[in-house]
Amino acid sequence: MKEPRPCRCQLFLLTYAMLLTFSSAAQDIDLRSVSSTYAIKDATIVQSPGKVINDGIVLLEDGVIKAVGKSVTIPAHAQIIEADSMYVYAGFINGLSHAGLPKPKEKTFDRGKIKDPANPPNELAGIQPEQMASNLLKPADESVSSLRKLGFTAAHSVPHGRMLPGKGTLILLHGSTADEMVLINETSMFSQLSGAPRRLYPNTVIGVMAKYRELYRQASQSKDYQIRYKSNASGMTKPEQSFVEEAFYPVLEKRIPVVFKAQSVLDIQRVLTLQSDLGFNLVLGEVKQGWDVIDKLKGSDAKVFLTLDFPKINEEKPDSVTIEEPKTKTDFELEKEHLEKRKQEMIEKHFLQASAFKEKGIIFGFSTLEVKPGDIKKNLNALLDFGMDESDVLAALTTHPAELLGVSNIMGTIDVGKMANLIISDRPYFQKESNLRYVFVNGNIHEYEAKPDKKKEKDTDKN
Amino acid sequence: MKSSLNRTLLGCLMVLALTAYGQNAKGKYATFALTNATIETVTNGTIQNGTLVISAGKIEAIGSNVTIPSDAETIDCSGYTIYPGLIEGGARLGLTEVNSDARTRDFNEIGQVIPQIQALTAVNPNSVLIPVTRVSGVTTSLAVPSGGLFSGTAALINLYGYTPDQMYAGFKGIVLNYPRSGKRGRWDRQDDEEINRAYKKAIKNLNDIWTKVAEYHKLDSAIKASGSRKNLDYYPEMEALLPVYRGEMTLLLEVNASKDIKSAIEWVKGKDLRVVFTGVSEGWRAAEELAEANIPVITGPVLSRPTRAYDRYDRPYANPGLMHKAGVKVAIRNNGAENVRNLPYDAGFAATYGMGKKEALEAITINTAEILGVEKELGSLEAGKVANLFVADGDIFETKTQVKHVFISGWQIPMESRHTKLYDEFLDRNPGIKK
Amino acid sequence: MKKHVLLIFLSLFILTIKAQEKGSVLIQKGTVLTITNGVQENADVLIKDGKIQKIGQGLKAPSGTKVIDARGMYVMPGIIDAHSHIALDAINEATSPVTAEVCTGDAVNPLNISIYRALAGGVTASHAMHGSANAVGGQCETIKHRYGTVDPEELKMKGAPRTIKFALGENPTRVHGSGNGILPRTRMGVEEVFRRSFSKAQEYTAAWDAYNSKRNQKGFQGMAPKYDLRLQTLADILKGEIIIHCHSYRADEIYMLMQVCKDFGIKKLVFQHVNEGFKVAPELAEFGAMASVFADWWAYKFEVYYSTAYNATILTKNGVVTSINSDSGELIRHLYHEAAKTQKYGGLSDDKALELITINPAKQLGIDDRVGSLEVGKEGDVAIFKNHPLSIYAIPMYTIVDGVVEFDRENDPADMRIYPDIDEKIDVTIAVADSEYDRCMQDTEFLFEN
Repeated sequence: MKEPRPCRCQLFLLTYAMLLTFSSAAQDIDLRSVSSTYAIKDATIVQSPGKVINDGIVLLEDGVIKAVGKSVTIPAHAQIIEADSMYVYAGFINGLSHAGLPKPKEKTFDRGKIKDPANPPNELAGIQPEQMASNLLKPADESVSSLRKLGFTAAHSVPHGRMLPGKGTLILLHGSTADEMVLINETSMFSQLSGAPRRLYPNTVIGVMAKYRELYRQASQSKDYQIRYKSNASGMTKPEQSFVEEAFYPVLEKRIPVVFKAQSVLDIQRVLTLQSDLGFNLVLGEVKQGWDVIDKLKGSDAKVFLTLDFPKINEEKPDSVTIEEPKTKTDFELEKEHLEKRKQEMIEKHFLQASAFKEKGIIFGFSTLEVKPGDIKKNLNALLDFGMDESDVLAALTTHPAELLGVSNIMGTIDVGKMANLIISDRPYFQKESNLRYVFVNGNIHEYEAKPDKKKEKDTDKN
Repeated sequence: MKSSLNRTLLGCLMVLALTAYGQNAKGKYATFALTNATIETVTNGTIQNGTLVISAGKIEAIGSNVTIPSDAETIDCSGYTIYPGLIEGGARLGLTEVNSDARTRDFNEIGQVIPQIQALTAVNPNSVLIPVTRVSGVTTSLAVPSGGLFSGTAALINLYGYTPDQMYAGFKGIVLNYPRSGKRGRWDRQDDEEINRAYKKAIKNLNDIWTKVAEYHKLDSAIKASGSRKNLDYYPEMEALLPVYRGEMTLLLEVNASKDIKSAIEWVKGKDLRVVFTGVSEGWRAAEELAEANIPVITGPVLSRPTRAYDRYDRPYANPGLMHKAGVKVAIRNNGAENVRNLPYDAGFAATYGMGKKEALEAITINTAEILGVEKELGSLEAGKVANLFVADGDIFETKTQVKHVFISGWQIPMESRHTKLYDEFLDRNPGIKK
Repeated sequence: MKKHVLLIFLSLFILTIKAQEKGSVLIQKGTVLTITNGVQENADVLIKDGKIQKIGQGLKAPSGTKVIDARGMYVMPGIIDAHSHIALDAINEATSPVTAEVCTGDAVNPLNISIYRALAGGVTASHAMHGSANAVGGQCETIKHRYGTVDPEELKMKGAPRTIKFALGENPTRVHGSGNGILPRTRMGVEEVFRRSFSKAQEYTAAWDAYNSKRNQKGFQGMAPKYDLRLQTLADILKGEIIIHCHSYRADEIYMLMQVCKDFGIKKLVFQHVNEGFKVAPELAEFGAMASVFADWWAYKFEVYYSTAYNATILTKNGVVTSINSDSGELIRHLYHEAAKTQKYGGLSDDKALELITINPAKQLGIDDRVGSLEVGKEGDVAIFKNHPLSIYAIPMYTIVDGVVEFDRENDPADMRIYPDIDEKIDVTIAVADSEYDRCMQDTEFLFEN
């Protein structure tokens, strides 16, 4: 009675095979480059902010910058990139991002099953400092290619989450595996002042700060005991295993800093309070309203990454130069004018923040936790519109983040010996019409077509 | 014989028990002569060393040269001032007991359009809150339902009586919560678009309802004119709104933000309504428009925070005065429940911050009465008016002033409340610290 | 581009942010209500570098000192509010019945406009409290109203004693018992929370004492007790280092907490709201507990149904150190008027009534050696009124903190925001006048949404 019919398993396999066929047809053919040596010719080379070589050559070999200058001998096995009239810059470094780490779906949980909301599982409380960004990396995530397309070749990347989402990692924005991408596995302990979801401890900023202090001190205590235990365990009670506490050890040993996301003027200062209570090395990220606390920041020795997320600027604002009709305004009209002006000034302060930091002699990089990649270039240009020097913006994208992340020896400038991270633009990068044509990450080339209409531009990713 | 004696004894005991454990002592209804008093008539200036006679629930005579009826109980008011009873222009007093307990809240019925529901039926004459209020000189209060678009019918009550009808003070009005264009509070999570959509929808709803009322009026008028026996189908909402539409009944239009006030002025225009704006916390931003439209307001609470972060800190205090100066007829309300007794302080702050004492007093007496159309009965000390009045040992706005006697509808009110009784019992507690 | 250049110039003139400062000012010829030393007519008050230097007649100040002509005005110490939640970004960590480890000091928001509005009511210092959701709430912050800074630290009154919020009755039982299904659901449970917490804190202290006594012995291999910020804080209460400020209403629960405190040797105890305090006034006086009450709030919830506005008077006449508080961004604007209500309800004298908003709240916060009266050596916190402050016609004219004029009615720009809201729609009212019963319960709304 058995009727021959395809079993489910076969059917599934068939579908899968078809999918594979279709998807591979749509993919680029992934052949490696003919040579790992490149010579970029006749380019305007911005070696570092303010230092320019006209009609120069950059020679890259095996992922390292071999030579830079006007007279460089180009070996025969080098692939030539004709960069006449083009501009070469060091690859940008993103000071704090979620690059390669897509936001995980918010875990839903059954309230009824949580017996003690005062003591929820760490995962729900948002206390997971033991997570490693490098373990969570998704190389194919769009965030990687979209940042690269803007000129970023490296990024400090941290997991999504709440109070303690995990450890940050420094990645190169190229590669198909985490192993290929990760440059420094454990760079920071990422922290935020965000509480656990409804009903769970710690819920508010006061709960988070108290919990942070407690965890930090508990870790410090357990570390001391661990050291004694490891040196001679005989006669000693075995310490409790705590991955959370152990995750603090590199911070306690000052091997890595705490990287705190702090946008508002008050959150920045709250983080400084925690730092002065606990004494960790601090990097502040995504700083949005720091202009009034620059001196305080200076006193804390915190390193700073300013956000590239700016409020919308009201372009309809009447030009302040226009001559008003001589008429007496009502109190309400005057009030409205005053309010509009104050609001406008407040918005502008966000754009002027970077200049204010520069003036006070604080070096900073940029972070992009809260900004859409599509807005980044527009926002960089806005900084120039608000009077910031091009070289200062460039420094905040290259040399300064390299210094702040401790990788100046291999990144940030186009100098011999540094990693072959650089970008080539058809016009000066900060011209609004400029197009990136090539991005080299660790010597791997990514080529882009110059298209005036940016929306249609595609990352062709030839490598 | 014995048993009847027992019964009498038992009766006496019961009366005693009731006196001891009852809520309050009884009011006294008689002819009273209040002598040697300063009399703030409100409408006819101040009478020094005057006499006021209360008889049959009314002010029988008032002046410096008044014959005291032989049966009158004389109360010497030397050094004291007689004021007309203060009128609260919009509160939940009588409609709620313990605000956090929904079982005691009777001011917010379910439904968006329920103009027909009656606040008066839900007034609890025995609310503990009422004696607390009246011994401070507030004799009359507008019980206002809230929530929805048309919340129901508000009713003016005197704060003495054992049934709602005994308390009813002659005014009813229908409450309209005019749609709000802004957020409803800091906790309101709606975004601008949602708010705007909700606002437009609410305005459309209101206009649709009004179109229906107009239609109802048309048909109702036609039926009446034709002498037809056919009636319109049962439609209590329209039935209730009809007198408002015809300008025979007052519309109490609650509106606060300046933008909404201006919108409401436009809405009212051409409708030929008897309308009062209530709340009007940003009235100072639309004072000229209100004056021009000749719309009276009942505003308050005066003791409240500015509505906007950038407003001058004293705007709520100055608001009644600013509207008054622009030519708006202003009454002041406290808008609370258990602390409507603070109505004189709402007026006092308004007086201090620009309104002036005389005007502020009018704003809690005669103006409220006029706005509600009960000025023939209430709101000032005049012969023939209802004897709602009180005697104080000083300026009623001053915080320390003591109210000595209160009369409501001619009843002399016992000067006690839960607050005074607890004071009497616990000032020198017995036993004290020792058992 | 050009347009923006212009804007940059404009932005240079924006409100400069003040650093914490101490000022000097001479207040001349006012009626000086010293609180602790009677009334001085036609007297001067000289504040130098933030401190009161002299009070008397015909005082001279170094040239350049700001002079305020207070003729016809009343000069009193800055008003102190022993219970408020202004200037806080978080009020309740309502997720646990015991949260002794949290500090509202971490949530201080110096940008809050309520600070300026409190100044405009003569209030120079307030107690920024944790809410009443938990039986043992968080630690509170005593702040001075130094408005105009963005630095939370500058608001904090450095050196003021530590305080902590406790709560009895409906709020903690509603949040945890009814809301989360955990103890406490009744007033019995609330007592249990205290006894359990303090007992654990005693154990914790004992464990540390034992550890500390042994740790330096040769060959000691033991493990330290696990650090616990919550128990550590509770232990600090037992040591007398923290003043308990307990949200309370009913006489029985007030009595209960006094018994608990007696059993654990705790002496520093202030009851907040304490609406039925008048019923146990002799016991409060005997214990030495203090009371911070509303002038006349009642009936907004069942546990305040049997209240009386005569509470402050009865407590005062029984010898309990009593203050009038606001617990509200509205009432804090006119505490002088709230204090005057004790003259209506019980006929307190001017002196007694003013003590309720000056030296008494200072005592309750443990800062009466620094503020709360006009005395030489105290901090220069002053409120100056047109008309007597207890009169309904009183108008605060100047408010001075540390000798700096923070509020001047004659020079009061309407818009006093430090950081304007960049998302606001101008001419749209966000909040209509709202009553705010139980701000104490802010951040707990989520518990009652279903």
